[in-house]
Amino acid sequence: MISLDQISLVYEDHGREVHACREVSLEVKPGEFLGILGPSGSGKSSLLYLMSGLKVPTSGSVRWRGDDLAGMGDEVRAEIRLKEFGFVFQYPYLIGYLTALENVLVALPSEDRVAEAERLLVSLGLADHMRRYPHQLSGGQKQRVCVARALLGSPAAVFADEPTAALDHTSGRGVMGLLNEHRGAGALVVVTHDPVMLEGADRVIEMEDGAIVS
Amino acid sequence: MADAGLGSRSNPLAASVYLRRNLSKTAPLMGVIILAVMLIAGIVSLINSIPLSIKVIYAYSKQYVAVTPRGNPFLTPLFMKVVEDESPVELERVMVIRGSGVEVKSIVGNWPFVVLGLERSDMDYYLARMSSEVVEGRLPEAGKPEAVISETMSRNLGLGIGGILQKPDEAESFSPMPVKVVGIADGANWFAFTSIEYQRENHFPNIDAFMAFAKSPADQLKLDNWTEEQLAGQNAQVFTYRQLEKQADTMFTILYQILNVVIGTLVVVITLMMGMLINIFLSQRVQEFGLLQALGYTKRGLLRRVLVETTIFVVGGWFLGLAVAFGLLNLVKVVLMDPRAFALDTTDWSAYSYSLPVPVAIFVVSLVTVWVKFKKFDPVGIVERRLV
Repeated sequence: MISLDQISLVYEDHGREVHACREVSLEVKPGEFLGILGPSGSGKSSLLYLMSGLKVPTSGSVRWRGDDLAGMGDEVRAEIRLKEFGFVFQYPYLIGYLTALENVLVALPSEDRVAEAERLLVSLGLADHMRRYPHQLSGGQKQRVCVARALLGSPAAVFADEPTAALDHTSGRGVMGLLNEHRGAGALVVVTHDPVMLEGADRVIEMEDGAIVS
Repeated sequence: MADAGLGSRSNPLAASVYLRRNLSKTAPLMGVIILAVMLIAGIVSLINSIPLSIKVIYAYSKQYVAVTPRGNPFLTPLFMKVVEDESPVELERVMVIRGSGVEVKSIVGNWPFVVLGLERSDMDYYLARMSSEVVEGRLPEAGKPEAVISETMSRNLGLGIGGILQKPDEAESFSPMPVKVVGIADGANWFAFTSIEYQRENHFPNIDAFMAFAKSPADQLKLDNWTEEQLAGQNAQVFTYRQLEKQADTMFTILYQILNVVIGTLVVVITLMMGMLINIFLSQRVQEFGLLQALGYTKRGLLRRVLVETTIFVVGGWFLGLAVAFGLLNLVKVVLMDPRAFALDTTDWSAYSYSLPVPVAIFVVSLVTVWVKFKKFDPVGIVERRLV
């Protein structure tokens, strides 16, 4: 479904060349739960953003269902992100003036999706919090709203970048369990530095200094 | 492509949702626009009321051309004959008159106004030409210190029947005897007249003048122009409405130039202030834009969304400002202007159009601000590195 062929990402930071990814090749299969493990600065987040089309590699290619993401142009890549992918970021970013339900609907605003969004929030234990604003939710509740947003529309792949980093261990495990449980037939790619969070993963790769080491 | 602009009730990214739920930000911005539009439209309307007043007060002169010989009473019949014999249009009436002065009030002080001295036989015709009739009192008697004034003058000077229009002790509204108001005539025109006999006996210089009336406004204009050209360079003073209009326009040219500079400065100041506020509010939304772009919204879609929001509050603020200005001007008209018969056009589009640069400038500044912000926008930097 997603294949990475010899991709590298090099950028300049204060005049110094940084190799965030070094000739990484990888394939994510439909429905697969792929864990990417590694210490801070190992390039695992960069890899996630490359395979999800948020970043374009310096060399190599990222293919989505056979098509090169880099060659598509910003707008087509954006459309794929919106319709085919779901995202959970390290910090539970929500829009402050929207309710929990509306924040979920942001992923795919449509009258048809309202019932689905409500169902997702109920199944994530937020039945009583749908009309609440982000400032009325705890950190764990916010991240669960983010999970619901990522799952809306049953995306083909959900990308989660350190989704438990801002949560305590129990909440973190809860969020990971919900993500895995509700992703349906979609692939799940999770980046973390905590191996415990990857319980149930079909495959775990480890990164170090921008390269896959195992 | 994902459209983040207007949408239905299930679209939380509809512009109306942001505007409604962020009233603490959008209301002050709208308030500034409303106040600016109100201020500009109000000031310009009041300034426009000055030349308008001149045109309204002296509108009676649209009906005729008046000729006053300079210094020599024997010239009057000669000039009259020229006009009667050579006029390019058919004349409806030519009447001999006298004139004395009175002062009327305006929002910028007192202005001179003529009190005509008319033959009894000409009074009815004159009233008819003014689309007026005496609705209270009667016409002045020959030789007596009596006057008929229009209802507008009555309001302006606060004079009713029995009031004194001209007095021996008033330099600008002088007459050797107190001239009493004996009749009030209706209609929109301003005028005042006494009998010609009274003015001949009591006012100097002892020179008759005359007025020539054409049959239609178009003919009157032709007659006015012709008389001005015909008597140019001769010992005659010619009074036409066209001259008055020209003088009024010339008189206010500099005032309007100053007004343009003041309003231009005001627009620049307001736009800079609004630009700074918009910039601050957009900076506060960087996280939102970063998140949406990461999720798959395009820069173009987000830009469109911000522009729709900006258009709504800028255009909304402008229309509300116009409505408030219209309401306030009507209040001023009813409370301050109408009781004194001062002219104020509350539907003067030129005054309202002066406020148009406010929304346009704010919109352009917003557009540039948003464009600059989005140009160097990196959503990954926001969701990954927590830049906000």
